Amino acid sequence: MTTTSLAEVLDGQHASDLRKAARALLKQPLLLAHGPSADEFRLVRRHASDLREWFDRNTGWPLQVDAESARLGKIPARLADATHPAREATRSAAPFTRRRYVLLCLALAALERGEAQIALGRLAEQVVLDASDPQLTATGIRFTLDRRDERLDLAAVVRLLLGLGVLRRVAGDEDAYVSGAGDVLYDVERRVLAGLLATRRGPSTVRAASPLERLAELTAETALDSDELRFRAMRRSLTRRLLDDPVLYYDELTDAELGYLTRQRGFLTARITELTGLVAEIRAEGIAMVDPEDDLTDVRMPESGTHGHVTLLLAEHLTAAQGPVRTADLMRKVAELAAEHGGFWSKSAREAGAEGELVEQAVTRLAALGLVSRTGDAVVPRPALARYAVGETVVLAPRTAGTTEVPAQRKAYPL
Amino acid sequence: MDMNAPRPEGVTDGYGPFAHLTAPNVLLYRSVMRAFLAAKERFAVHLRPEDVHAALPAGTRPGGVDAVAKALDALVAWGNLRADPDTGRVTAVEDFYRKRFIYQLTREGEAAEKALAAYDEALGMRGALQAVALHDIVTQLRALLVLAAEEEPDPAKTHLALDGLASRFAALADNARAFMGSLQRTIDLHDVAEDVFLAYKDQLIQYLERFIQDLITLGGRIARLILELEDGRRIQPLLRSAAAREAADATPQEAAHAEQAAYERWAGRWAGLTAWFLSRDGRESQSRLLRGRALGAIPQLLAVVRSLNERRAGRSDRSADFRTLALWFAEAPDDDARHQLWRTAFGLYPARHLTLDAETHAARLARPEPAATPWAGAEPLRISPQLRRTGSYERRGKPRKVEDRQEARRLLAQTAAKQAAETAAARARLVTGGITRLSGLGELDPASFRFFLQLLGDALATWRPGMKHTTATSNDGAMEIRLTALPDGSTTEVRTPEGIFRGPDHAIEIVDLTAGTEGGDGR
Repeated sequence: MTTTSLAEVLDGQHASDLRKAARALLKQPLLLAHGPSADEFRLVRRHASDLREWFDRNTGWPLQVDAESARLGKIPARLADATHPAREATRSAAPFTRRRYVLLCLALAALERGEAQIALGRLAEQVVLDASDPQLTATGIRFTLDRRDERLDLAAVVRLLLGLGVLRRVAGDEDAYVSGAGDVLYDVERRVLAGLLATRRGPSTVRAASPLERLAELTAETALDSDELRFRAMRRSLTRRLLDDPVLYYDELTDAELGYLTRQRGFLTARITELTGLVAEIRAEGIAMVDPEDDLTDVRMPESGTHGHVTLLLAEHLTAAQGPVRTADLMRKVAELAAEHGGFWSKSAREAGAEGELVEQAVTRLAALGLVSRTGDAVVPRPALARYAVGETVVLAPRTAGTTEVPAQRKAYPL
Repeated sequence: MDMNAPRPEGVTDGYGPFAHLTAPNVLLYRSVMRAFLAAKERFAVHLRPEDVHAALPAGTRPGGVDAVAKALDALVAWGNLRADPDTGRVTAVEDFYRKRFIYQLTREGEAAEKALAAYDEALGMRGALQAVALHDIVTQLRALLVLAAEEEPDPAKTHLALDGLASRFAALADNARAFMGSLQRTIDLHDVAEDVFLAYKDQLIQYLERFIQDLITLGGRIARLILELEDGRRIQPLLRSAAAREAADATPQEAAHAEQAAYERWAGRWAGLTAWFLSRDGRESQSRLLRGRALGAIPQLLAVVRSLNERRAGRSDRSADFRTLALWFAEAPDDDARHQLWRTAFGLYPARHLTLDAETHAARLARPEPAATPWAGAEPLRISPQLRRTGSYERRGKPRKVEDRQEARRLLAQTAAKQAAETAAARARLVTGGITRLSGLGELDPASFRFFLQLLGDALATWRPGMKHTTATSNDGAMEIRLTALPDGSTTEVRTPEGIFRGPDHAIEIVDLTAGTEGGDGR
């Protein structure tokens, strides 16, 4: 006989829905009412007022929800993080290049001025026109969009915008445009477009000249002239970092922040746990909000597949090294590992000369997760790397090895 | 200024009275004409140049009377005005020697002015939906109903009422059309300034709501009145009487079909009115369409408000913002700087977190680590040895064997056969073999009673007040029940092992329609 009352069940349901909605927003700060994120959007919309209040109080991120989209105006607390590039919307997910970033912004500027519909050819014309701005040409950027690779760049930009929901394809396809055989017609979702910039200030009002100063000005909040406001700013900044970043190392904080965090640690992490279900892994060197649901992340460790495997093996090697390891040494290590494990790797990874790429991928992944840092030519393990028991697997292996059917599987999944 | 004597009206060939519209002094001419029209409304027919001068609005009034006189003469030349010698007394010698005229509107001039007024009105009309017109229509329809009830409706009253109805209705329809047009203009924000729109918006929404309400309540009432008038063809005599009255003025040679033509005109108007308020022949009534449009206008207006807010939301020119960003991306020293800029400016990055498996999570809950433990000293997250060795997780569990469903199928078949047999038995139990009373059914087992209840329900569903007898077929078409109410009003009860069913007694006959096929089935 259960004594759970209906009210309790509903409360539990509410809390779990709220958690799902918050996680959806953290994973994807722009959710659309149509398409694959429709379910998450509905959840967010239902809990919009709770979420809005939570994010405003704890992070200062505005949440805007209308009938078409939900947008969490995320601003990172740590500006100098280059591990979140814009990525191509294809399987390769290649980071955007300089040309693509510039094209993207020029395309957005054209869309912003434009009508409710646009054809890719027309967009290209306007981009070419804008690109002829003397300041821009002074940087050496030039677009004619006559060449195929340039059109490929524009297509990549447009696909990113399609993915974000700024554009909706009405007719045609980008491949035809790239090959010069056709054009594409889009609807412009002005509402989504309007919410795309997350900065506190419009970039055109910023006068700073150096990249980091520009970032700082873009995100600058109002002047802090009271203790309460300073504390609030610290709370927001720390919560942002705990929500966004895999690991918050104490040595990256100012004294004031560290003092505040030490006093308020329990409160800050409990609030995050309550909303998101992330749990705090508190260690001497820092805090990681780890995810028991293994879902709230774009980079995983450990991960299956060749790159995940190489990452794991290199992480093991780095942990054992207990100090900076030069990239060249890592490449040598990969060559050794290939002899032992190469049979499980993809064909391209086993080719001679693939080590550089493999090491680069693995280190990028570890750095993105805050497990290593790079200094010049060397890779330095960071404390949280030690949370993986890569060393002990050897001890455990004999016990479980007998129960698995590895050879059969290997045949079933040739890579 | 040698203004010639008034020219004969024959000068106004074609559209002379409109010539002043293209003349350089068009504003003066138009206000002069308006002054004459205003005077005519006060029944003043003749105006002297001084009167006209005084009547002109301050903006267009020339310095002296002479300019006005010149304009008047020009208008005379175009045929808009007629000049007659002024024979009034004068008090100054020079006045006496001057040619003096008094002016009045010509028919052409008046017609032109009316046309221009209509033109202005049609263009300038914002369009308003008149709830008042709806009220008037109700009033006129009521009056018609009263007239229709009379033996000999008074033709004059009838004509007046119908005339009033037609004119109010025409005004309503015109207004509705204009309103819809201007509403669309407002919604599309064509040549409507933003602040004008915002000022207009609240009023408009309130107004729309009120009108919709009136249209729903009064529209319904009007529709009822129309139906009442059409019921028993009471409206036709009224229309005929009005037509006859109209035709009374016709010349003898026209008289023959004048009445018929007038009647057709009236019938057409009436049809227009009914089409406005009644949905017929699968066509939606105008008022319903109008209501739909007016209702739809509200969300559309709100959408405009939203798009305006959206325009304002960006404090800076967003297009300029994006161009600035393009420049920054181009200027950035390396890819890292660009990725940082992307992340900060667009804030579209996902959260990124380390993960925790369920086992370790549970272990940590049971034995929490002190916060001062370094990562290297804490209980680690264990990586699957399989993953470490091969780069993929082991797959747990064996593949499912293909199940043998023979046994289950046999069981299902048995159950089905048993159920079929029970159904047949229950049906057989219910068949009455002739007319009997409910009370004669005796005790029923649960299966039979369930069938009986279904049949009874089917039969009672066809029962209408005043019926004495009904016949119904069960849903599966296998049984028929014939039920007749008994005049004695006695009650009866049917006993089942699960309770007693009570109700008024009926004569009943239940027939198994499948009888004869059921037995040969072999089930």
